[in-house]
Amino acid sequence: MSTLQLDGVAKTFGDTTALHKVSLHVADGEFVTLLGPSGCGKTTLMRIIAGITQPDCGTIRVGGHEIHMLPPEKRNIGLVFQSYALFPHMTVAANVGFGLKMRGIPRDVAEARVKAALDLVDLGALAGRHPRALSGGQQQRVALARAVVIEPDVLLFDEPLSNLDAKLRDQLRDDLKVLQRRLGITAIYVTHDQAEAMALADRILVMKDGRIVEEGAPVALYRAPRTRFAAEFLGQTNVLPVRLDGGQAVMPWGQRFGGVAARAGSHVSLRPEDIAMTADPAGAGEVCGVTFLGASVECRVVVGDVEVRVRDSGSGVAIPAIGTRVSLTARVAPHPLSEAAAPLTAALTA
Amino acid sequence: MNTRSATAAILILPAGGYLAIFFGLPLLLAFLGGFGLFTRGAETGFTLDHYRTLFGTKSYRDGLWFSTYLAIVPTLVSLALSLPLAVALAQTHPGQKLFNMLYKVPLVVPGIVAAFIVMTMFDRGGLAARVLAPVGIDLPKLVRDQWAVGVIIATAWKAVPFMTLIIGGSLGAINRDILSAARTLGAGPLASFWHIQVPLALPGITAAFLLTFIGGMGAYAVPNLLGPVYPLPLSVHMYVNAFERNNWGLVSAMGTVLSLISIGVLLAYYRATRSMRQSYGGETR
Amino acid sequence: MTVVPGIARQRAPFMAADGRWISAGLALAFVVGLGLPLLVTVLWSLVDPKVGWFSPDVVPSSLALDHWKTALGNPSVLRALGLSVLIGAAVTVLTAVLALPTAYALAKLPFRMKRAVEVFVLAPLIVPGIIVAVGIGAMFFRLDLVYTIPGVILVQTVGTLPLMIRILTATIEAIPNDLIAAARTLGAGPVAVTRYVLIPLAWPGFIAGGLLTFVASFEEFEKTFIIGSPFVQTLPVILWTYLGGAGIIFPNAAVVTFILLVPMLVVFFLAGRVLRDDVLASGMGKL
Repeated sequence: MSTLQLDGVAKTFGDTTALHKVSLHVADGEFVTLLGPSGCGKTTLMRIIAGITQPDCGTIRVGGHEIHMLPPEKRNIGLVFQSYALFPHMTVAANVGFGLKMRGIPRDVAEARVKAALDLVDLGALAGRHPRALSGGQQQRVALARAVVIEPDVLLFDEPLSNLDAKLRDQLRDDLKVLQRRLGITAIYVTHDQAEAMALADRILVMKDGRIVEEGAPVALYRAPRTRFAAEFLGQTNVLPVRLDGGQAVMPWGQRFGGVAARAGSHVSLRPEDIAMTADPAGAGEVCGVTFLGASVECRVVVGDVEVRVRDSGSGVAIPAIGTRVSLTARVAPHPLSEAAAPLTAALTA
Repeated sequence: MNTRSATAAILILPAGGYLAIFFGLPLLLAFLGGFGLFTRGAETGFTLDHYRTLFGTKSYRDGLWFSTYLAIVPTLVSLALSLPLAVALAQTHPGQKLFNMLYKVPLVVPGIVAAFIVMTMFDRGGLAARVLAPVGIDLPKLVRDQWAVGVIIATAWKAVPFMTLIIGGSLGAINRDILSAARTLGAGPLASFWHIQVPLALPGITAAFLLTFIGGMGAYAVPNLLGPVYPLPLSVHMYVNAFERNNWGLVSAMGTVLSLISIGVLLAYYRATRSMRQSYGGETR
Repeated sequence: MTVVPGIARQRAPFMAADGRWISAGLALAFVVGLGLPLLVTVLWSLVDPKVGWFSPDVVPSSLALDHWKTALGNPSVLRALGLSVLIGAAVTVLTAVLALPTAYALAKLPFRMKRAVEVFVLAPLIVPGIIVAVGIGAMFFRLDLVYTIPGVILVQTVGTLPLMIRILTATIEAIPNDLIAAARTLGAGPVAVTRYVLIPLAWPGFIAGGLLTFVASFEEFEKTFIIGSPFVQTLPVILWTYLGGAGIIFPNAAVVTFILLVPMLVVFFLAGRVLRDDVLASGMGKL
């Protein structure tokens, strides 16, 4: 069983604290994403799990066994790099077979496993080439094959798709997920791209300034974020100040919602796609900006002293002129936010 | 010739022309002189006499062997010392900056000074002998000995920083991620070094080897000061024949042979590294 | 799950201590390989001429500054020092001026004979120095350039050009073409580009190459000896007369060694701050 457990892992580089005693748990076969802006500590955390960087304190357990005392070559953890990190002086087959060679696996057995791994990523025909002769996408597939062929306990991904162009990225992203499901390897994926995180993960860990700020399954995290940071980092949202009147939350355009568990002085989140907008000469809002995004139209609407973003999708969506008066209706209740990090679920509490 | 080639030609003219006149021309004259053409002093006219003398005289033949010996052995010794030194200097350790500066000091020290140091330390009655005598150890003859140990020490002392610099540069140019990848795949420090670092640093290692080899081939001052009385390296014979006997034809022949050996080694180097360059462009990124 | 108590600072066992071993080993190597020779040289220069330093003394029994006084008062030694500096400076300037245009062409312009030019530029390093010296000696004899300072400058430059060209080429190659293109779109002609973009950005290469050239010239022996001696004597040539001539005079040699070394080491340590290893190594690391 390859569960991963981190407890109290901290790391400081000189004056900067990269990680503040982070703890997390990943179940066997789970696909977890570490999501956050540059400098949030996600890459540092990953390198610590791999053993490339040493933490200042904390423990790491894989399948219940402590591994933080082990050098990287003894941890049986696969790592797919953003820069691919293929060995330029070896063929594709030699690259993929390197980990097996280091483990002393006999040549014929290794050859069969290399072939199987290359077939898994659809690169069987390129076994004899050198990395230099491959495209970026192909190189990344080789890197993937190389990491999975050793049958690691945990598979780590360090923003592997960042160097690829958009179409290729989407393609490879889907293939990655399929592969992980098929092999059932516990995976941790680092990225700053929230769309990628949501598409791939069973669970997302949102990081900021060296801490895990919030975590949850993609749908729950997107539709019901608990922290302001997570709400704003995943997709777009309107963060509105709460106005309470007789136990109900009042929207800037007058709409009321009961049962919103927000305190006075805090904020709520309402996604642009959850607001309907209709032209209305007596409406509370006035359109001050329109952006045509192809699949959707995004409007900025001024209501009182607040600017609200509204998004609507579909070819039939009207594209209003600036200055049009509109009325807004939220289709769902707004969601209360807290500024602080959300308490993590019981399994993670350190 | 289009403008681009013309521009390039003009830009190259100063250095290229300079080298053509002050290097290419003397070399050409030396090559021809070996065959008896365009020499001063003796009668001119195509002849193979000079080469016959060169290969026919025992002291000259032995000199040629000795020159080759002085090219190979110090280079191998230096390589054996430089590789671990380059690796050690690359690891994080206290005083790293200081050591990285110190190891380059012999680069600015003239070869003659290196010879002087070896003389004072290792010659008969030198410091090493005086320190070890009370302990009862009698050092063998290290200066002016048959194996040219003194020459090897002095040459290696100068060559090690040079090689370490180049090899260190090659090792440092390897993308860090590649080394991390090797570690996560199960390669310990030694396996990483052997399978990843050495192959990828090979162009630099062989370049350092080559330059040191060639330097040893033409060394004059150090072998003259520290080497045995017999055989003398060919470079010394060249000097003697040029300035004391005025036999420029023979000198040219000797020079040509030494040059050809160096060029031969260079070509072998190119051939050996060609496959490396083709497969991964000699690039380490 | 609670944090296991008592886990404070943890260091994986395969790391930390190694660093200290390396430092110890290197320190030992440098003490024996560098410190000791230097110390011995200092001692030799301070030997009392009336007593000498003979076996079995490990340390000279009596020290005096006599040899220093003699050497520093010796006009030929002082002249040699001046000559070494003068020639070094001249060679450095000449080499830099000749090398820059060629380095630019090799770094930035695609042209057909590039490989041939690269090999030709490298050739003076491939052909053993003594052969170059003797060959040029014959030629300079006919041109009456032997035994002259210009002659020595010219012959030394042959040896320093390849390195300077290679270092400058590597440095200029590293300047992104986009920067030069940007400068040109903003109105800079070739001279302005050279002055405001090329030279400032290639500065590390100039420093590295310039220092190496000066040092190479300062300590150069074979070519200078063959072309210049006995009328043009640089410090290495003077040192040779104390070591390889009629008799071996260690104390004099020791003093001259220091006169040779000290400026070099000073320049070297000052330059250590500005010099970048990767620039040096890249110039010499690929043939």
